[in-house]
Amino acid sequence: MTRFTRRYFLKAASFFTANACLSSHYTEAIAAGLEKIFERKQQILWLQGLSCSGCSVSFLNAENPGPLEILTNFISLVFHSTVSATQGHDVHNVIEKLTGKGNYTLVVEGAIPVGIPEACVIGKHPIADVLPPIIKKADSIIAVGTCGSYGGIPAAEGNLTGAVGVKEFMEKKRIPIEKRLINCPGCPVHPQSIVGTIAYAVGRGYPPVNETLLTPDMFYAISTHDECPRFHSWEREIFAEHFGDPEGCLFKLGCLGPHSFTDCPRRQWNGGVNWCIRASAPCIACTSPLFAKSKSFPFYRKGEKYHDVTYNDSDRGGDKS
Amino acid sequence: MSKHITIDPLTRIEGHLSVSTEAEKVSSHSDAPLRVTKAMCEGEMFRGFEKIMEGRDPLDAQQITQRICGVCPISHATASIRAQEMAYGITPNKNGRIIQNLVLAANYLQSHIIHFYHLSALDFVDITSVLQYKGKDKILRDLKAWVERSLASKEIFPAAPFLPRYEVPYIQDEQINWELVSHYVQALDMRRICHEMGAVFGAKLPHSTSLVPGGCTQVPTIERVLSYVSRLKKVSSFVDDVYIPDLIRVAQEFPQYWAIGKGYTNMLSYGVFPLDDKGNKLIGEGVLCDGTWQQLDQEMINEQVKYSWFSSPTGKHPFQGEVNPAPRKSGAYSWIKAPRYRGMPMEVGPLSRVMVNYNAPGDPWIKKEVDSVLEPLGIPVEKMVSVIGRHLARGLEGKWIVQQAFKWLEEIEIDAPPARDFDIPGTAAGYGLTEAPRGALGHWLTLDNHKVKKYQCVVPTTWNCSPRDDNGQPGPIEKALEGVIVDDPAQPIEVARIVRSYDPCLACAVH
Repeated sequence: MTRFTRRYFLKAASFFTANACLSSHYTEAIAAGLEKIFERKQQILWLQGLSCSGCSVSFLNAENPGPLEILTNFISLVFHSTVSATQGHDVHNVIEKLTGKGNYTLVVEGAIPVGIPEACVIGKHPIADVLPPIIKKADSIIAVGTCGSYGGIPAAEGNLTGAVGVKEFMEKKRIPIEKRLINCPGCPVHPQSIVGTIAYAVGRGYPPVNETLLTPDMFYAISTHDECPRFHSWEREIFAEHFGDPEGCLFKLGCLGPHSFTDCPRRQWNGGVNWCIRASAPCIACTSPLFAKSKSFPFYRKGEKYHDVTYNDSDRGGDKS
Repeated sequence: MSKHITIDPLTRIEGHLSVSTEAEKVSSHSDAPLRVTKAMCEGEMFRGFEKIMEGRDPLDAQQITQRICGVCPISHATASIRAQEMAYGITPNKNGRIIQNLVLAANYLQSHIIHFYHLSALDFVDITSVLQYKGKDKILRDLKAWVERSLASKEIFPAAPFLPRYEVPYIQDEQINWELVSHYVQALDMRRICHEMGAVFGAKLPHSTSLVPGGCTQVPTIERVLSYVSRLKKVSSFVDDVYIPDLIRVAQEFPQYWAIGKGYTNMLSYGVFPLDDKGNKLIGEGVLCDGTWQQLDQEMINEQVKYSWFSSPTGKHPFQGEVNPAPRKSGAYSWIKAPRYRGMPMEVGPLSRVMVNYNAPGDPWIKKEVDSVLEPLGIPVEKMVSVIGRHLARGLEGKWIVQQAFKWLEEIEIDAPPARDFDIPGTAAGYGLTEAPRGALGHWLTLDNHKVKKYQCVVPTTWNCSPRDDNGQPGPIEKALEGVIVDDPAQPIEVARIVRSYDPCLACAVH
């Protein structure tokens, strides 16, 4: 059996931060987090609301450490609906016993319906009723994905369920948020963002976050537009005009990079094989609180010529036309 | 007297599902097992995607609808793109068609692998068998050390998330257990590699941003093609040398499951992976009723809501479908609607695709493949409609797709445009029929003033997990549960195994 040394943890933690070019302060903190989780001082309860499980699937794409290494060496994943062998009545026993004892981090994937509470039910109880005591007793709460963070598509204009993100839910239920809730948006969340955030929260406590959005600075402080590999094309006003054009700024096709704050340009996706801009696909700002929210704010510009759009062009940020 | 057996929640699927059954003792003996007489699938989550789509720019559709499901987003992108292409009057160019297929193929493979190893296998494999392991395999030795350490510790939940579980008879042979546990771990890498393969052309997974009507935004460079090929070779070996042999081993360990979970035997396939502009597809479309192959007619599809939490009119074709939630509706028990084909409940999924194509006119590749697996086992093809048959069909389909993906990579035109341009008409309608890993998927779209007027989705698990219809006919899974014998009502593993064999996705089913 491998001896788990400080060096080992630093090595594992450096993976999360290396590609993101973070300072050693973050690396140290994440290493301490992994070590602490390894000592089993913290348990993780992962619950799903109005979700598509995409963030769970994305979590499984984590590498170095991969999902099994995380489950066996770094965290005690007490319950996760898609992964756990546990089913049926045992699920309620596990959740009850855990919340009775305390000392856990709660991960919430998906939005919470407060307009139609019956729209998400666990064991015959609306999740809107199940969550408050579990949130209150948690050491920290991590909202994963744009649904968990800001409501996402379930909370988009025209929705019928009254879906909200965890922050808005806690505000409605008057549960204290300060220094407890961390938002990890993204549709889905990037695997390294969720693993790194869990590690930091457990090891060092509450991470430095954007005060309004509650997103950890270590993963969400970079403007996709500012770091875009096609930034030079934007400056020179060389634009892609059609889907599939391999060169040029994607702004005229609808790119929402200026609205997006993630480190996608640095870390890329799926082991670094690709990401949206590199594939000539406009950024759809999937980490933004505004993601998909307004019917009159389309992802692509191609359709815009056919109908009135009710936003100002400056809403897109950096419009050169 | 009738007893109730429930699994609430039924985990290791996508989403929120509860299954409840009524059952009777098979004899008057006090320890007698129970036989299920009636089953109900309750879909417990509703988001209202179809209403969210109304009034939006139609190009939003492939992005919004992918978020119906994080396990099969590419299938929703595909259905949405097909519906838009019909409405815009275009087809993808050759590269666009091939690249769309390649991204979809990658996600199929990741979905089938995750379903067998990470969602279903724990119903068959005894994970605690690693405690007896004395060999040299590093994966198994590490796992053994972890389970030992965890059990010896004072944790309240040792070896979570693998325990607690139903304590029922699992595979007895230690060697087989060890191999399957080891493959559970390998499969984690394989499914990740499949996602990388998809991202090579799809930009990222889950939820690709590069798929658009007319094709894809990613130009197929030689580097991209090689990157896909290299990964596909690894996945191909895994499917041939690990996945399919494991399915056969589980079949041999649980032969009774060739006869459990039969259901209606009516099968529906929309077909998937277009091979040209003329409608030819790798996996063909069709309907199987009473063992007879028929041509598909999408006009014969409707959705019924008597037992669903909707006040919308019932029995409407998707072009006329409506979504009016009524969560306190009397008599209703699920958010899932009940889609029917010519009034009949239909099973959808890999088994349906395999059986529809097996019985289709001509000499389909899959027929020889199925026969070559069943013959040595001495199993007649009729037994494919069972728990084991569903798992096996998934694996064989994986092989089918892998073989074709190699051919597509040869056909791709390097550095040539990956998409065809289009205009969006003011008023139009279209539908996109495809197959998700879990079965037949359709999106129906109408446009008015260049915006979405109506959007309706009928999704695989809507078919399989449907509640009773207006005539009281149970849904396919509900039907498949009738008659199953449950040894221990507190740990109804037999029910769980049947339901999981369909690979339910509840986020899809209700959307």
